[in-house]
Amino acid sequence: MGEASRISRYIYTVLILFIIWLFLTSSLDPQELTIGAIFSLVVGALTYEVFTERGLGNLNPKRVLYFIAYIPYFLWAMIMANLDVAYRVLHPKRPINPGIVECKTTLTNNVGKLALANSITLTPGTITLDVKGDRYFIHWIDVKDKSVEGASENITKPFEKFLKVIFE
Amino acid sequence: MVKRILAIVFILIIGFWMAKALDQVPFGQDRMLVGKYYLEHVKEETGAVNAVTAVVVNYRGFDTLGEVTVLFIASTGVAALLWRKKRKRTAKTEGSVVLTTGARLLLPFIMLFGVYIFIHGHLTPGGGFPGGATIATAFLFLYLAFTVYEVDHKIFEPLEGLAGVGYVTVGLIGLAIGGYFLFDWIWQTWGIGKENIGRLLSAGFIPIIYTLIGIKVGTELTGIVDNMIKEPEEGGQ
Repeated sequence: MGEASRISRYIYTVLILFIIWLFLTSSLDPQELTIGAIFSLVVGALTYEVFTERGLGNLNPKRVLYFIAYIPYFLWAMIMANLDVAYRVLHPKRPINPGIVECKTTLTNNVGKLALANSITLTPGTITLDVKGDRYFIHWIDVKDKSVEGASENITKPFEKFLKVIFE
Repeated sequence: MVKRILAIVFILIIGFWMAKALDQVPFGQDRMLVGKYYLEHVKEETGAVNAVTAVVVNYRGFDTLGEVTVLFIASTGVAALLWRKKRKRTAKTEGSVVLTTGARLLLPFIMLFGVYIFIHGHLTPGGGFPGGATIATAFLFLYLAFTVYEVDHKIFEPLEGLAGVGYVTVGLIGLAIGGYFLFDWIWQTWGIGKENIGRLLSAGFIPIIYTLIGIKVGTELTGIVDNMIKEPEEGGQ
């Protein structure tokens, strides 16, 4: 996956910034829009080189659709994991079996790895400690499977099927 | 031990003394003398909805110029104290991929938010100083996440100077047009934006000055971080 052209990356950054500006001001006053457009262009020019590698390729409809679908999926996983941890806290015997496991990911893109690491951390019970190459070191509150394959099956796989489409 | 007890007694006496003095000021009552004038006239005189901004930039613009000068001196002072010919970053541990990618992704958003804060200084809380500090945070992020990152000094320091000169120039144009330094010529003489108080393009020169201050504070704090994070090379003096 090579880098997109500079123009495409620049336009993508400006577009994202302008959308953020719209959310920040929450007004469609032409003055706000003009100033917002100017500053999006300026900030975009300063930051597009570090911000994106793929440029407009990020706006592929399939990716956007998967991203929108990923939000409720992730929220559901988060709620279930929170309830699970609450159960462990309230249970008199406190059934925890903590440990650090190693997982493997098939994601190659850095942004995808970031999204996966954050998804893992935000679902309680699992915390990403470090990422090295395609290996994730994860602190798991209830270790069910110590092997790399087994842990990956439990922790990273459920998110990967979405993140693979969104970021690869 | 005796030292400590003496210090505590001394502080308690000072505290009692100050509490006694502040006791004279009734809380929650109208004690405004000048403040009332500001609140009543701020809109037609400066066009700003945010009275604090109007006071800070317009009525008492000298103070803000002084603050900007203090920051500039702080930045120059740090640079002078830590000056060496050969200085580079000596950090060796690159952040993990989570940290570096996160810093890269957040950079434009933090910068845009800083810009949002300073351009809306006359409408919402904030202004040039918080906005500039926010922008500096974005650079601090890059400095902390990447071991080799360094801002482009050929652009950065001139930009800092230009923003300061811009502030003084705005003031001097006011001197030429209105007769005193930092006279709000855009509002009082040209009357630009008179019909849309509360919208973005109003409040005379406040947005312009806050943009300049935002750029200045942002570059300055980044410069301080840059100076403090670099170490002299081995053997280099």
